[in-house]
Amino acid sequence: MRLAFAFSVYYYLMPRDVASLVDTLAEIVGPRHVRTALPERVTYAKDGLPTHRRVPGVVVLPGSRDEVIAVVRLLGALGMPFVPRGAGTGLSGGALADGDAVLIVLTRLNRILKIDARNRLAVVEPGVVNVRLSVAAAPHGLQYTPDPSSQTACTIGGNVAENAGGPHCLKYGVTATHVLALEVALADGRVVELGSPGGEPWGPDLVGLFVGSEGNFGVATRIAVRLLPVARAVRTLLADFTSLRTAGEAVSAVIASGIVPAALEMMDQSCIQAVEDSVYAAGYPRDAAAVLLAELDGAHEAAVAADAETIEAVLRAHGARSVLVAADAQQREKLWLGRKKAFGAMGRLSRDLVVQDAVVPRSTLPDVLETIARIAAEYGLTVSNVFHAGDGNLHPNISFDGRTPGLRERVEAASAEIMATCIAAGGTITGEHGIGLDKLRYMPLLFDGDSLAAMRAVRHVWDPEERVNPGKVVPVHACREWAGTRNAERGTRNESPDVRSDFRVPTSALET
Amino acid sequence: MTDRGGFAALDPCVHCGFCLQACPTFLATGDEADSPRGRIELMRAIEAGELSPDDPALVLHLDRCLGCRGCEPVCPSGVGYGRGLAAARALITSRRGVPPLARAALAALTGPGLSRVVYALARALRATGIPRWLAGWGRMRFAMGMLGATAPKVGGGRWRSVKVGGGSPPRNLHHPPPTSTTSPVLLFRGCVMQGLFSHVHDATIRTLEVNGYAVREVPEQVCCGALHEHAGLERDARALARLNVAAFGDGDEPIVVNSAGCGAMLKEYGHLLDPDAVGFAARVKDVTELLAVRGPRPGAPVDATVAYDPPCHLLHAQRIAEPPEQVLRAIPVLRLVKTPDAAQCCGSAGLFTLLEPAMSRAVLAPKLETLAETRPQVVATGNPGCLMQLGAGLAAAGIPAVARHPVELLDESYAAAGYYA
Ligand SMILES: Cc1cc2nc3c(=O)[nH]c(=O)nc-3n(C[C@H](O)[C@H](O)[C@H](O)COP(=O)(O)OP(=O)(O)OC[C@H]3O[C@@H](n4cnc5c(N)ncnc54)[C@H](O)[C@@H]3O)c2cc1C
Ligand code: SF4
Ligand code: SF4
Repeated sequence: MRLAFAFSVYYYLMPRDVASLVDTLAEIVGPRHVRTALPERVTYAKDGLPTHRRVPGVVVLPGSRDEVIAVVRLLGALGMPFVPRGAGTGLSGGALADGDAVLIVLTRLNRILKIDARNRLAVVEPGVVNVRLSVAAAPHGLQYTPDPSSQTACTIGGNVAENAGGPHCLKYGVTATHVLALEVALADGRVVELGSPGGEPWGPDLVGLFVGSEGNFGVATRIAVRLLPVARAVRTLLADFTSLRTAGEAVSAVIASGIVPAALEMMDQSCIQAVEDSVYAAGYPRDAAAVLLAELDGAHEAAVAADAETIEAVLRAHGARSVLVAADAQQREKLWLGRKKAFGAMGRLSRDLVVQDAVVPRSTLPDVLETIARIAAEYGLTVSNVFHAGDGNLHPNISFDGRTPGLRERVEAASAEIMATCIAAGGTITGEHGIGLDKLRYMPLLFDGDSLAAMRAVRHVWDPEERVNPGKVVPVHACREWAGTRNAERGTRNESPDVRSDFRVPTSALET
Repeated sequence: MTDRGGFAALDPCVHCGFCLQACPTFLATGDEADSPRGRIELMRAIEAGELSPDDPALVLHLDRCLGCRGCEPVCPSGVGYGRGLAAARALITSRRGVPPLARAALAALTGPGLSRVVYALARALRATGIPRWLAGWGRMRFAMGMLGATAPKVGGGRWRSVKVGGGSPPRNLHHPPPTSTTSPVLLFRGCVMQGLFSHVHDATIRTLEVNGYAVREVPEQVCCGALHEHAGLERDARALARLNVAAFGDGDEPIVVNSAGCGAMLKEYGHLLDPDAVGFAARVKDVTELLAVRGPRPGAPVDATVAYDPPCHLLHAQRIAEPPEQVLRAIPVLRLVKTPDAAQCCGSAGLFTLLEPAMSRAVLAPKLETLAETRPQVVATGNPGCLMQLGAGLAAAGIPAVARHPVELLDESYAAAGYYA
């Protein structure tokens, strides 16, 4: 594998311009926080899906919101593309920048600005690591509920951009449900505030539009989120199955029971093996074809206990070989840690990994899982499944050794076939990891040229020059020509409707 | 492993990022190039020949790695970061050599002849009390603080032993008789431990004896080679390892170590020398491991609030978490407090504190903040570098606490209980 370093910033700009760009950036953030040397840029060439690799032109690490805004303004004035980046745990190549772009890394913006326990909200900078907010809110009996498995590493800014989900989002909703307000630096450096302290929009729901925009609509510089009380009563159940199909059927049965579990997760055998071999071994039965991890929670012990009994009976009636109820908080935490670190343990299966993300109607899970297993067998690949079963949000992971000649191509082909299967089952190509770079090629399978062009037009409202995180999400070449987007080439503004600049709200939710 | 050596240990990395928040240097700078995941990319690139091992920007970020291995126990894929780093450093050193300051420090601290003179001078200076008095921030004053922190219970008296006379003894004060069986163990003395912390060796011997171990000396032993390996001098480290393996012979007595850094290195001999030293490595035990096996026997009360700060080379490299706390809990009345960031590196990391002072202090700073809030009287840690770094940091920050080895506290408790009478 040779690095393709050809796309270095130096090929795009005259050296003098580079020097002056770097100098000006250094004036804003301090010279220590501008990275230009090749080895330093190389460390930013990947995110959590290392099959994609792009070396950014310049990396800048601002230390405050004012610095972010100043950097964005400068790049706006120069007409330079840029990419915001959080912790780089994204699984679609979203946080990668090409050699002609500046990567704005937000890890240093890691302050929790306010926890308002009475009104159950928090205001944070975008680089705050997800789990740290819950830790900080714990003394108030509160938590930040969306809990992506990567929560010990990923940032809230990245969660907002990807509309991240997590096991407990089955009952409590994904990130979008929990974001009240945002401050966003637009591509040209203008700053807008969206949302309200109560979460209701002042006009159209622009917060809802921004959440999940994958860094295409600007940089979130401040985020107000809802906090929820930590559940007082909790039961965690581990059910194991001797066939993947029965496990899939049990998922639908649980949902049909009318009880909404806080979480309902599935892991298959190879995934169980990887976790059990790791420091996060949770005591999952190694010989099970699949396990389901279900959690019930609520405010009253008796009610939750009754729900747990019902679910346990449903699981047994639908083929569970055994059902274990976590004895205490410690065992519960262990069961969850194993699940949450499962992706990270995949390196035990093979050195390379492709993580997939698709949603299918829950009722089709048993068939789709079987088809995936068949595709894996046909291509001679190891596929392991660990996913948010209650939502029908699949994550088939393909483990392989990229050094084997021709294997990458086979993995690609198998991935495409798995995606096609999910679409055919009435599903979609991403549940929570986003389109980024990785899913661009599947977009035309789902959307026609007009629809793609409509998406592009919405983007132009925020970023008419397509300078923020260029080349992601919407495959531009597949867009039908759309009124108002004709002059969308870099540098020429189009006539698409303009968002009111300096969008002002009557009461701010972001003030701290 | 193949001829790829330690680099193969990096293969399972899937770039998940779970190690980021466990890395003290990433927490200090927020820069991927100062993170385990970023450094693994750099190491892979030099192995593949895509980046040059003497590229200054690459070397900067690998030099800034503490080698604390805080990234290892959190990694679900079991990436052997430490082994990869040793291989990468060896490659870097083969290109650029050892920087002069590192070479000088190595000679002064581990050179058989020179170090003896250096330690003698250091002890003489320490005896004047001047270093403690000069302790502060800045390169020179911090070094003084480090030397001051090596003194046997000076500036002590901040915690005291409670006399147990008259009345009925506190409930947790039962004294089982000393174990009747005595098992022989061999003491590893090391360089800095022997030069500046011989009082910890004394405490080790005494407390082990109370718990039924007979400590024997091994005169032919040499430096463990950890600092050489960190500096990328793999060949020197291997030579020292061979001498030690020969010196300790092929009996089966445990080899007791009270320096976490040395212990971690000695336990790595199996990998360094391949099959020859596997047996040796298996015999190596931290002093607290041996004590914990026997209880250890409780002593007299020590009325002190103690924060235990696990050395990285004990917790992460050797995965020893419980035994030191068990030792401290054997001391009646002593209050063991937990600080949330205890498991994080203090920034000492062998020669790191001398070679990368800015990063070292940045890593130390958050720990001092928590300690200032927790207000313990003693910070207990079982590694010479950590004792010096924490001692100097506490003094510089004006926090009224001292750094002590856990066995020193147990020793004090035993002395007060009259076990040595
Ligand atoms: C082991 C593992 C488990 C995972 N589990 C889950 C899971 O359960 N659920 C789930 O949803 N995801 C999961 N993910 C994916 C990933 O963690 C999430 O997408 C997360 O939200 C990314 O956050 P980040 O800070 O790493 O963002 P990055 O990867 O750095 O960036 C992701 C995208 O967000 C943009 N972005 C980042 N910050 C900002 C900002 N402040 N303003 C605007 N745009 C921004 C970037 O441009 C990029 O497009 C997992 C990943 C891993 C490695
Ligand atoms: S936790 Fe392990 S697998 Fe994940 S990035 Fe770090 S070293 Fe790689
Ligand atoms: S050894 Fe310590 S400093 Fe180095 S990468 Fe790992 S955690 Fe970070």
